[in-house]
Amino acid sequence: MLEIRNLHVKLAEEDKAIIRGLDLVVPKGEVHAIMGPNGSGKSTLAYVLAGRDDYEVTDGDILWNGESILEMEPDERAAKGVFLAFQYPMEIPGVAGLTFLRTAVNALRKKRGQPELTTPAFLKLVKEKGGELNIDVEMLKRPVNVGFSGGEKKRSEILQMALLEPTLCVMDETDSGLDIDALRIVADGVNKLRSPDRAMLVITHYQRLLNHIVPDKVHVLARGRIQRTGGKELALELEKSGYAEYADKAA
Amino acid sequence: MNVAVTKTRAEQALLQGFEQVAGVLPGAVWVRAAREKALGAVEALGLPHRRVEEWKYTDLRAALKEAFPPAVASAGKVAEPPSPEALAAAIGPELATMAAIRVMIRNGRFAGIDGAARLPAGVVLAPLAEALSGRTDEALESAFAVEVDAARQPVIALNTAYATDGVRLAVSPGVEITEPVHVVFLADASGPLAVTTRNVIDIGPGAKVTIVESHAGAAGVALQANTVTQINVGDGARVAHLKVIAEGERALHLGSSLVKLGADATYRAFELTAGVGLARNETMLSYLGENTAADVSGMALGRGSAHIDTTLTIDHVAPACESRELFKYVLDGEARGIFQGKVIVRPDAQKSDGKQMAQALMLSEAVEFDSKPELEIYADDVVCGHGSTVAEIEPDLVFYCRSRGIPLEEARALLIDSFIGEALEKVEDETLREAFAAVARRWLEA
Repeated sequence: MLEIRNLHVKLAEEDKAIIRGLDLVVPKGEVHAIMGPNGSGKSTLAYVLAGRDDYEVTDGDILWNGESILEMEPDERAAKGVFLAFQYPMEIPGVAGLTFLRTAVNALRKKRGQPELTTPAFLKLVKEKGGELNIDVEMLKRPVNVGFSGGEKKRSEILQMALLEPTLCVMDETDSGLDIDALRIVADGVNKLRSPDRAMLVITHYQRLLNHIVPDKVHVLARGRIQRTGGKELALELEKSGYAEYADKAA
Repeated sequence: MNVAVTKTRAEQALLQGFEQVAGVLPGAVWVRAAREKALGAVEALGLPHRRVEEWKYTDLRAALKEAFPPAVASAGKVAEPPSPEALAAAIGPELATMAAIRVMIRNGRFAGIDGAARLPAGVVLAPLAEALSGRTDEALESAFAVEVDAARQPVIALNTAYATDGVRLAVSPGVEITEPVHVVFLADASGPLAVTTRNVIDIGPGAKVTIVESHAGAAGVALQANTVTQINVGDGARVAHLKVIAEGERALHLGSSLVKLGADATYRAFELTAGVGLARNETMLSYLGENTAADVSGMALGRGSAHIDTTLTIDHVAPACESRELFKYVLDGEARGIFQGKVIVRPDAQKSDGKQMAQALMLSEAVEFDSKPELEIYADDVVCGHGSTVAEIEPDLVFYCRSRGIPLEEARALLIDSFIGEALEKVEDETLREAFAAVARRWLEA
């Protein structure tokens, strides 16, 4: 279970509070959506969960399976099962996708006390999971994300998620930049990973993605805290009314 | 500039020491004359210092505090080759066991050739000491007695004066040597030593050859190495020329490549410098025929107080030639990297196409990188460009890797690999590329 208690976050470099008293609980087996206007702190929340050091937590706590992760380095969090699918996946020129994936998979297996995968076993796994996401192994021989289209980058993120077997999946605007076909492939990939052992947090600006990844709960994040929580129908309501109601209060 | 300057202790030793060893340096009468003439050039201006523009960042006069005793070698006297284990330890198991025609030069003395029987007809491969003492070889004579501008190139003059051995390689027109010719320069004397080696190579028209030089030292040996490789590439010939410079932290390495290219030829040079105290790697390349393509690239890895200077003079004399240079520096500790890349396009060299890039990755805040590109263009229909970048490891990329479970050190190593990967790609032969990658990786992991 993910528990976020009274979280306060500011930028590390300046005194600008972005998240101001956020409380959130996502039990295992559930998918929660976070929606909100631009600048409400959605991406900040995603990065803080993954441990990016551009942000400073000034108050509150984040617990994953009852254990605070705030003091953990990003790779330790990954070993504990935390995974962030980036809104803008990064390009790493000069490092082949397969090398990157294998390094990550084996680093995590080592930390989790599992034996490292042999090259044939790894390739078999990549072919299987990649096939489901329409990712050809040839594409992974190229440098990580370099020259990939927006859709390819997002599918590549979900492939990483499938290979690294996280238990807390955070997806930051995974739908941005996707056409309807790519959206369906990505959503199918995510839905395959739904399981009673896994908690998922889907961050999105639009309701569209939630037609494909149907959430158990929808939270509205605005002005640095959860303003409202409801069922999946809340997303439809927001789609109609927009975020004006929440933005107005901020003004 | 002709300023009377008091000779330093090292300069005096270099000038006065010659007489003591001249009798045991190899060569016929003409060689002795060339040596004396070269020494005269050194005497006229002394060692280069920071007020000589080309040596602004590498003050050799200041760096060479004392001249180590020079190695000597006479024709016909063969040194013991190292054991296979010692060779693997010195140059890395990949290069030590690679299929090659392998020439050993140990502490400046010839120590045997492996695989000479596999050389095709039309190839002369001999120890330089033997060639200098043997029958007439006009190409060798004109190369060895090369006229140098002593003000700029006293290092080559010094090499002519003191060279003991190396290889003489001459490949007849149209001949292909399928295995690399691998020349190993191993310095593992018990005490400080100045080793001066010279390779004189002529590749005939249409011939195809790969030359690999390994410059290695036993751990902790104080060394002053001066090595010159002269290559004449005939029309339509294809030559790959690769070097590993890794003689250890107590080594001062002065390396020069003098390259002359004919028409329709291909020349691909790659230098990996990993683990030296001070290195000055100089390449002077001239295009003397049309439609030739050359790539001079490399990688410099420095930590501690390493000082690595790459100085290139790429001279487009003939038209319609292509030049490419890519150098990548990884600098840690208080290391200093220098890149000087001069591209000259002569008035007749229309349709010249030159591109140059030097990039440094800084792993500590105390490092320094000096990059000085120079374009001298006298023709009007040319495409020439250069660039230079200095960067640290991108924190966002480190975070991305770590968020995937890759620990900090491994993430940094992966990103350093990604930085140097583009340079390594310049090595076309896969076996050699992997061997060079292994040398780099061992340095990075040390």
